[in-house]
Parts: sequence; structure tokens; C-alpha cells
Amino acid sequence: MTLTPAPPAAVVAQTRTAPPRKRSRSRTRFAPYLFVGPAVVLFVLFMLVPIIYAAYLSFTSYKIQGGGILGTKSLVFAGFDNYVSVLTDPALASGFWHLGLYSAIAVPLTLGLALLFALLLDTPGVRATRFGQTAIFIPYAVPGVIAALLWGFMYLPSTSPFSYITKALGWGPIPFLESSGIFGSIANIAVWGGVGFNMIIIYTSLRSIPAEIYEAARIDGANERQIALRVKIPLVIPALLLTGIFSVIGALQLYSEPTTLKPMTDIISQTWVPLMTIYRNAFLTDDLPGAAALSVLLAVGTVALSGLVLWISNRRTKGAQS
Amino acid sequence: MKKSKILSAVAAIGVSAVLLSGCSGGTGGTGDSAGGKVTLDFWSWAPNTQSLVDTWNAANPDIQVNYTDAGGGKDSSAKLLTASRAGNAPDVAAVEYPTLPSLIVADVPLDITDLVSDVTDKYDEGTLSQTTFDGHIFGLPQDIGPMAFFYRSDLLEQWGIPVPTTWAEFKTAAAAVRAADPSAYLASLPADQWAFYAGVANQAGSKWWSVKDNTWTVGIADDASLEVADFFQGLVDEDLISTDPILTPEWNAKANSGTMLSWPAGLWAPGVIEGVAPDTVGKWSMSAFPEWTPGDPAVAYQGGSSVIVTKDSDHPEEAAKFIKWLNASEEGANLLLTVQNAYPAAISGQEDAKASAPPALMPQQTDFYELAAKVSANAIPVTWGPNVNVAESAFTDELNKAINAGTPWRDAFTAVQKIVVADMTKSGFEISNK
Repeated sequence: MTLTPAPPAAVVAQTRTAPPRKRSRSRTRFAPYLFVGPAVVLFVLFMLVPIIYAAYLSFTSYKIQGGGILGTKSLVFAGFDNYVSVLTDPALASGFWHLGLYSAIAVPLTLGLALLFALLLDTPGVRATRFGQTAIFIPYAVPGVIAALLWGFMYLPSTSPFSYITKALGWGPIPFLESSGIFGSIANIAVWGGVGFNMIIIYTSLRSIPAEIYEAARIDGANERQIALRVKIPLVIPALLLTGIFSVIGALQLYSEPTTLKPMTDIISQTWVPLMTIYRNAFLTDDLPGAAALSVLLAVGTVALSGLVLWISNRRTKGAQS
Repeated sequence: MKKSKILSAVAAIGVSAVLLSGCSGGTGGTGDSAGGKVTLDFWSWAPNTQSLVDTWNAANPDIQVNYTDAGGGKDSSAKLLTASRAGNAPDVAAVEYPTLPSLIVADVPLDITDLVSDVTDKYDEGTLSQTTFDGHIFGLPQDIGPMAFFYRSDLLEQWGIPVPTTWAEFKTAAAAVRAADPSAYLASLPADQWAFYAGVANQAGSKWWSVKDNTWTVGIADDASLEVADFFQGLVDEDLISTDPILTPEWNAKANSGTMLSWPAGLWAPGVIEGVAPDTVGKWSMSAFPEWTPGDPAVAYQGGSSVIVTKDSDHPEEAAKFIKWLNASEEGANLLLTVQNAYPAAISGQEDAKASAPPALMPQQTDFYELAAKVSANAIPVTWGPNVNVAESAFTDELNKAINAGTPWRDAFTAVQKIVVADMTKSGFEISNK
């Protein structure tokens, strides 16, 4: 830069624009804060403050004060009591067990189908890509509660079209809402909603792969299937990791599907998954501090799990680079 | 033209801002504007409440009531508790009797003893005792639900099955139904029907909560309750009754198709059945609830609601005026009966009921309200504990576990007893039988 002689006109222009540029520099220093400001304010108000409040609540408990038959409850400091009772509650272990079984079905199925559809849509010569994309994405637009209600009708023996067919064939109703079928039934509702969203992420990542790589592969004699397996999939691994983390966090937040199906079956208890336990504690049995303690534990667990996945993926990509 | 449009838009924004601030005020009594006018927020869930509120509003321009359907007894009390903790509960709210003590403990309702002292004679003692604690009144009874037996008279008659008057006969009838149509059940009594099991245990002589000198006794696992548990487990073990959840699309379909033949429940049940099985109107009848001991007509209450004034209300006197009209006045009680199809808690409403037409579900049963009065006269006063919500939650989960695992129901009852006692101890109550 310094070696090239600056043309006089530019120098003039530079000197002329110098003062405003100084002002603009201070403005640029200020601008980023202006842009992130609203987000930070919202984050503090609606995330940080509630989190701190929940953490505070988790160290308190309601105790009866005042005389009479009933008295009134007031908040007193309770130390780690809530954490102890939450961690020793057998319902929590079975909640995580249910969550694990559900995740083992739902997460691989969602990601596998999303990857499959993305690869199919990305295959050259495939027609009606737009339509396919939209058709696969549409279930994502149906709110989880509505989807669960719709599926509930399709699961109940007297109203299910599937059971109608199997009953007509003499096999009896399909046990969608019994202990043998419940995990598959709930995973099914979630998979429909999850595939489209994850597919879009993977598909976008596929579209960003430079075409030269495919050309090189074709020149080397690879067919479409080999390109998909050996070129595309390794290149979209970052996208797969991202969707993987989303799916795992999503699975930990399983709530609306089992809650909506709950009135229809006696298999789903009020503590079937951890979030349902939190809801029960907070709103049904009026144990807000207990709910807060479990929320804090669940949040810490989710952050730790996400961190672990990110750490592994970072190590992998670093290992691949070196 | 353009200007007027802009002006009207500005006016609209102004009005909606006023409305919004009115709504978000929430902390009851949304400000008195000119002329001492008061607006009360009122939460309930009973059908046709809006038209009762409209009647009040037309006659009381100074005390306007703003009604919100808060969605079901259970949901609405959860919402009420949360709103109250946040300091913006409505002025007036409907509350089911079993939930009331837990709300009192949570400091939600106002002690309205002095505000309603002039209408206490409108109720009989048993009814009023459901909202009275330690001599303090925390709400006015609205409707009561003594238990009765609702059944498909056409099918039972067709199959020649006598209507059960005792629980032993209920078992025989249930078996006869299974024999007559293998796809049909006399009834479904699932674990989430907590109030039903509390009622039949109460009927058998059990007191799930009682209190003396500020010391509580919990009886969910007393001898009477455990025998009740054994009896119903026997019915389920022999596949005589179903434990599928009720009022689901499944149950409704069965009620419509005539494979679910009865519902032992509170007096409010005909309205509910009519809503989910409208095609079966005229095929249902009511009889007295089955008895444990032949000749002992005592029955428990299932459900029923009261109306409270909350501590958040800025206008408790106006709110009390409104709930007195709604529940204790002759006009209000009559509207509850005729418009809301509830069985009124006030004596005058029950008197009116005798001359009233039967519920739409069973137009042929002309003696419905006569029978209702008889049933109601034999209802047992009950004390609900301060953590009925905990009991309800634990009962449903524990009994479902027992049903699914095939373990003894009495163990589930014992487990619930332990959970309820532990919760009360943790909250700081004195308990006689830990």
C-alpha cells in the first residue's frame, strides 16, 4: 500500500473526508452496541432475570405460617433440600429412562430421514424439488399440540383408521397407546414435525458444496450413489452435527406430545418425562421451588450435553485438518 | 374524508389503548372511572355463564362484570394460583370445593365472612360448611354435585338387567353386561377419576382428611378405603369394568355406540353426557347411587363449585355483592338452574328445581329433581385437606401404576397416603398419623 504512490485527487478526497470519517469511526464503534442492544435487553429481561429468579427459588420452600387450621404458606430458605428431594425422586430416573427410549427412536429416525430426503432432493435430474421440499416441510408448520391431538384420534382403538383396518382383518386394534407402542407412537408425532426442519438445514448445506467437487468425482468415475455416500455426507457433517444438537435438545424438551396424549391413556403418568414433572410441581401441586430446582438441573444438563457434543465435533474437525 | 379516517384511526388506537390498559390492569377492579363505576374480572368455566353475567351487567351499570372462561376446574385453579402469585388474579373466581383449602393456604381467597353474613341463611349447613373453615367463610357455594348413578335404561331393560342399588348388585350387573355384549362395559372407572374414588371411600365411611385442634388426620389408607380398593380391583381383575380414561374420543364413541352403559358421577353429569353423546338423548336415566350397606342412602359429593373473592381485588364489597346475587339470590340461583343447568347450592334454587323440567339428556325422567333433592338430602359433609392437589396427582399416578403392573390397589392407596402425609409434614402441618 505505502509503495504505491497515491494520486493527488485521492489525497485531496481523503483530507476532505477526514473529519467526517473520524466521526463515523466513533459511530461505527457505537453501532454494534446499538444493533445488539435490543437483543441484549430482551435476553436480560426474559432469559437472565428469570433464570436467576428460578435459581433463587430453587433454594427456598413453602412453609405454613400463622395459626388456625390452615394457615398460609410463605417462602423460607431451604438450602439444598429441593435438590435432594428432586434427585432422590424415583420419578426422575424413570422420566429420563422414558426420554432415553424416546430419543433412541426419534433422533436417529429424524436425522436419517432428513439426510435421506436432502440427498434425494439434491440428486441431479430430480423433478418437483420445490414441491417435495414444501411437502416434507409442511408438517413442521403444524403446532406440536395440534399434531398430537390429530394423532391421538388416529391412535385410539375406536377412532383409529389403522386399527379399523387391522380389526377388519381380524388382528384386533394396534396397541398404539399401550406400553408396547407408546414410545413409537410419540416418536412418530415428533418425527413428522422434525424431519422437514432438519432437511432444510442439511439441504442448504448440500447446495453450498462447490460443483467442481462433484465434477472431479464424476471424472474419477463415481456414480450418484457413491458421490452421495463418499462426497456429500462427509461434507455435510457440520450440518448433521448442528441438527443433531438441535434434535437432542429438542428431545430433552419433550413435553407437548405426551401431555396431549395423556388424557387418552393410563400409560403416561404425570411425571412421564422431566418437563412434565416440572409442570406438575409448578402448577398442579404448587411446589414452585421444587419445579425451579429441577429446571435448573435440566438446564445445566442440557448445556453440558451440548458442550460435550460441540467439543467432540471440534476435536474431530481439528483432527481432520491436521 | 381522509382526515376523518385518520381521526377515527387515532380514536380507535386510543380506545384500544384504554381497553388494553384495562385488561392488563388485571389486579381486579380495573380502575374506577367517572361516576364510581367499577369493573370486576370474573373467571369461571361453567357453560352459559356469560348470559348470567349479561343479566347482571344490564341491571347494574355501576358494577360491570367482565367474564373469562378459564377452562375447567383443574386448569382454572392452576391458572388462578399462578395469577395470584403474580399479583394479578381476577376479582372473582369459581373454585371447586376440594381445591378451596389449598388455595386458602396459598393465600388466594379473601375471608368474606363479614361481607356475606346476610346470606348465610340461604344455604343449608352442610353446603355452607364446604366453604367455611374455622368459622371463616372463604367463598359462596354455587352448585353441588352429590353422587348419583346415570345409566342407559334402554339397554339394561333390553337385556333384562336390574338397575343396581348396591355395589354388590353393581358387580352382578357389570357381569351381566359383559355376558350380554362382550364389547360392552357397564362403566369405566379409571385412576384419573380421583374424585369418584374419594367419593365411594367417603361413602364407605372413610375420612380422607379430618382435623381436630389444628392436628390433621389423613385416612386415604384407612380400613374402609382399602376395602373399597379391594372391591374395585376385584371388578377390574375379573374384567367386569374398564379402566380406560373417560370423556376421551374413545369413551365418547363408546357412549354413543352403546358399549359404555353408565357413569356413576355427580348430579352435573347429564349435561356432560349430552355434550359428548348427543345421539343418546332420551336413552339415559338416573337412579340413586349404589350403596355399600343396603338401606344406607348416604352419598358423597363429587365436584361442585363455589365462587370466591380474591385478595388481589380492589373492590371486595362490589365483588361480594355480585357473588351474592349470582349464588344466593333467588334470581341468580334460578338462572344457575335454568340457564347453566347446574344443581344450585342455594336452598331457593333447589326448591325451584322441584318444579323444573329434567335435564335435556333424560326428558323422560320427570322425577329427576325430586330424586336429586332426595340424593342431596343424604349427602355427607366432607373436609378437604390443604393438599388435595398433591393427593389427586399422586393417586392418579400410583393407581395407574398398579393397574398396569397388576399389583394390589391397596398398595397404591397406601403409597398415596404416604405421599400426602410427607407433603403435609414438609409444609409444616401437624399430623396425628405420620
